Amino acid sequence: MTSSEAKAAELFTERYRIGPTDVTRRIERTVIGADWGANGYTTLAQAGKLGAELGLGPGVRLLDLGAGQGWPGVYLALTTGCQVILADVPTGGLRSAAARARLEGVAARAVPVSASARRLPFAGGTFDGVAHTDVLC
Amino acid sequence: MLRDSRRVLRPGGRTAFYTIHPVAGLTPAQRRRAARSGAPAVATARTYEDLLAAAGFTQISRTDCTDGFAATAQAWLSEWDASFAALAALYGEQTVAERQRKRRIQLRAIRDGLLARSLFTATRP
Repeated sequence: MTSSEAKAAELFTERYRIGPTDVTRRIERTVIGADWGANGYTTLAQAGKLGAELGLGPGVRLLDLGAGQGWPGVYLALTTGCQVILADVPTGGLRSAAARARLEGVAARAVPVSASARRLPFAGGTFDGVAHTDVLC
Repeated sequence: MLRDSRRVLRPGGRTAFYTIHPVAGLTPAQRRRAARSGAPAVATARTYEDLLAAAGFTQISRTDCTDGFAATAQAWLSEWDASFAALAALYGEQTVAERQRKRRIQLRAIRDGLLARSLFTATRP
């Protein structure tokens, strides 16, 4: 892991420590238009655009780098039917993402993996699409 | 990160991402301010188009979404100000105040034309 990745991991570990709450969900609905654990700038419409650009649909394999608490990776699995690997360094965010995936009934298609985006633990040619949103590394 | 994205994509696979970056054509001083005001990744002097090409991607395109970025940044700031007490109870007053301070710096840099946010898309040949 690089020093910038380590700094980002530390920042987001603290940020994800609490997990989603009523007040953060309410703010997120106002700011982003949905409450999937977003803390960046990707709105609901922009998440949809990402899915369209990547041609996501059933059977399509997506890698979401810096997946955070599951926005927009888990949302895209639910709305497009794609399979998504949620990769990130802070595990607290991934736990929230996995919980939301279970809640939405997409846990079999939305799988968290603790990994650095610079050295991905996947074989070449594994994915049809790679997405990330405001990743700090 | 872009090189490893390319490696794990199948031929014909696509990457699409939103990212904050300095506006093109800034002076070195403006670029430094942009880097201080945004995310660490904006410190790079090269454009994402160059970085994607160097990582082996083709069919590279950029869609500017800075207007939406400014609106969303303003909304985070306003909503966190409006719920300051509740958020301070969750995260601690100092943490919330520091995050809001950084948001104000970032918003000023967007409004001063230093920071942009774009959607980049590219294909692994």
